[in-house]
Amino acid sequence: MKLLKFELLKLRKKSRGWLGPILVFVLIMTAFPLTVEMLNKDIDQSFLSVLWIATLLVMMLATEDIFLEDFNDGTLEQMAIKHNSLSGVITIKIFVYWLLIGLPISLLGALYGFGITSSADLAIQLIPILMITTYIFLNVFSFGNALSLTKGSILGILITMPLVLPLLVVLGKVVIAINLGMNFLGFLFLLLGILSIIILVLPIIISFVIKAHLE
Amino acid sequence: MIKKFIHQFASPKTYLFQVDRAYPYIFYTSLSIYLGALFWGLFLTSEDFVQGNSYRIIYLHVPASFISQSLYLAMAFASAIFLIWKVKLSAYLVRSIAPIGAVTTFIALVSGAIWGIPTWGTWWAWDARIISTLILFIMYLGLISLHDSFTDNEKADKFLAILVIVGSVNIPIIKMSVEWWSTLHQTASITVTEKPAIDPSMLYPLFGSIIGFTGIVVCLVILSSKLQILKREKNKSWVKDYV
Repeated sequence: MKLLKFELLKLRKKSRGWLGPILVFVLIMTAFPLTVEMLNKDIDQSFLSVLWIATLLVMMLATEDIFLEDFNDGTLEQMAIKHNSLSGVITIKIFVYWLLIGLPISLLGALYGFGITSSADLAIQLIPILMITTYIFLNVFSFGNALSLTKGSILGILITMPLVLPLLVVLGKVVIAINLGMNFLGFLFLLLGILSIIILVLPIIISFVIKAHLE
Repeated sequence: MIKKFIHQFASPKTYLFQVDRAYPYIFYTSLSIYLGALFWGLFLTSEDFVQGNSYRIIYLHVPASFISQSLYLAMAFASAIFLIWKVKLSAYLVRSIAPIGAVTTFIALVSGAIWGIPTWGTWWAWDARIISTLILFIMYLGLISLHDSFTDNEKADKFLAILVIVGSVNIPIIKMSVEWWSTLHQTASITVTEKPAIDPSMLYPLFGSIIGFTGIVVCLVILSSKLQILKREKNKSWVKDYV
């Protein structure tokens, strides 16, 4: 609990870290209608795919220095020694990132969904899906950035982007499910299942990677 | 005795000498099998009723795609061995398989594109199997660039092994992509459990070409792993004697 508060404070004080990604998301979602000549019908159809890609990009940006600063000033090493489970610390860290970045973006995404397609149903269905996908993305990109800790985030993106592409396929199916108004809950549970595996497994792998970095 | 053999084989030095001895046999056998299968497939079998002569690229496309996925699985096994038992040789193998996997995936993509023009009418489609193969290609390149970006080789080996194992979740998706989604690409004609959906006169040369191609790729892996071993162990005295 103390750790959670500490991490929350640390991220909150660093406004570039959490406000920056959110603003980038807003910019992307505001800029994209400009590119389709304001034709309402086209926007409706492409809105969801732009939304997924925008969340993907923003989550990449958000995790860019999730471990880097702590690694450079030695906090990460201290934590690895002090707490006997580094994976717990990492889980909390990712959760804090989700709380300050993933959650606002899910709500904003739903808001944009309502604004662009003007369908309240869609907006409500988007909230849980976005909440789950942002959490998955944060986990996976944290893994990539842990691997490429001192080598910049381009490498981290290059190696983890292929891992999330199957997820994008699932999201594409969700778009169809929403449009046809069927089987939506099934996809929600599928995403939840993926998330529960990732939450359990990835922090352990990330802690392994970070320990290798600290050696 | 098996344990002793494995322990001996796991040392890069023994591996190098054993492999040097076996290399010419593997190479010439598999090359002759592949050329024989190609000759049989290209000149001795009849034209396909629907596709005409264009189907004959199957003798390149199918082996290459098969190998590109199998190589990734081989890398995953080698990574697991490296992480669990800390066998240095398997780390070298993982690194040396990666570029060859990238090349075979590239061959599979290009030959598929060439085959697509006469049969599908398009050389590229945003189709589950094609995209997942492209992802596999990018994954191979990502693995190589991850390993090359670290100067500390031991660290790089460890990270590469972890990433290979995590990335192997994509392999079943590539394999099953043609069955889970409705796609342009057909489902597999040859499976272990069912009778092949392909005429025997085309099937036997296809098997031959798969076996021969696998052998040739194994030879490439051997060459690449030799390079990797000599590069990493260049300070050892036996390497100086060997070179």
